[in-house]
Amino acid sequence: MTATEHLVKRLPNDVGGTPADPIQIADHPLEPWEKRCHALADVLDFHKIINTEEKRRGVESLGTELVNKLSYYERWIAAFANILFQKAILSPSDLARKMQEVEARWPTREK
Amino acid sequence: MSSQDQAISSTHEHGVHDHADADVSEPARPGYYEVMETAVRELLIERRFFEAGEIRHQIEVLDSRTPALGAKVVARAWVDPEFRARFLANGRTACEELGITFYDDTQLIVLENTEKVHNLIVCTLCSCYPRPVLGLPPDWYKLKPYRARAVYEPRAVLAEFGTIIPDDVEIRVSDSTAQVRFLVLPRRPEGSEHLTEEQLAALVTRDTMIGVVPAMLKPDGDAS
Repeated sequence: MTATEHLVKRLPNDVGGTPADPIQIADHPLEPWEKRCHALADVLDFHKIINTEEKRRGVESLGTELVNKLSYYERWIAAFANILFQKAILSPSDLARKMQEVEARWPTREK
Repeated sequence: MSSQDQAISSTHEHGVHDHADADVSEPARPGYYEVMETAVRELLIERRFFEAGEIRHQIEVLDSRTPALGAKVVARAWVDPEFRARFLANGRTACEELGITFYDDTQLIVLENTEKVHNLIVCTLCSCYPRPVLGLPPDWYKLKPYRARAVYEPRAVLAEFGTIIPDDVEIRVSDSTAQVRFLVLPRRPEGSEHLTEEQLAALVTRDTMIGVVPAMLKPDGDAS
């Protein structure tokens, strides 16, 4: 097997049956933005803008490095942005401008 | 990027503790992904793909879904054989009979544990889960170790939850999809014959309906 063959055969989400660590029986209450992100996912699905399968493929398309480094809802929102760009519902410039506007609602940190 | 990085690190490292005596209603400066979430949501609302009220409503729906709903259905199945038959035939319509609406477009297959079969549910690809009846899945259900290992060494995985299944009991692992979700109907504990339906529901925890632990007369945390 070549050094990269496994990357072609298994997308980052496709972990079933692979070796892995012991289970850490962990949980955390969702942060408010994580819950909003989950509600956003549901509403996008209700309106047939992004369904569950598209969301999963969107997360896979982030690639192994991002899938491994981002948290669960960080992956979701990054995937939603990419899918909305692909569907020409939003443009990258739209999102960049809006993110700047949102950032500007908080004063620059002092100290 | 540096100001964004700073924002992330301030949220993660200093958030609650440094500001313990600050006004609790004062929102913390959001991190990069939170800003992205707000921006995407507001853009789509501005462009009338949906309304702000729909997000608020869905948050209320998510908050209203807890394992207590699944426990109610399981307890009913334990005491009412006719309901049990309907529950096993079609999980979704049986839940709807008890007033549990399905806000998503999923089917629910109920897997009955018996003396000879123990069921376990997983979503190897992501985190599909019977959310209308159990709420959102715990973190461990969404993380790689459970998703990777449940399908090839379920006995070892169950042992990590303190559950030892005898070798003569078959373990069936069901892998969820976007459209098809599973719920385990745990075995009614021996010695529970005298309990009311409500008392039985209190024995049915989230983890019993995922299949990682059996339902017991004294669930976790009840030392009496």
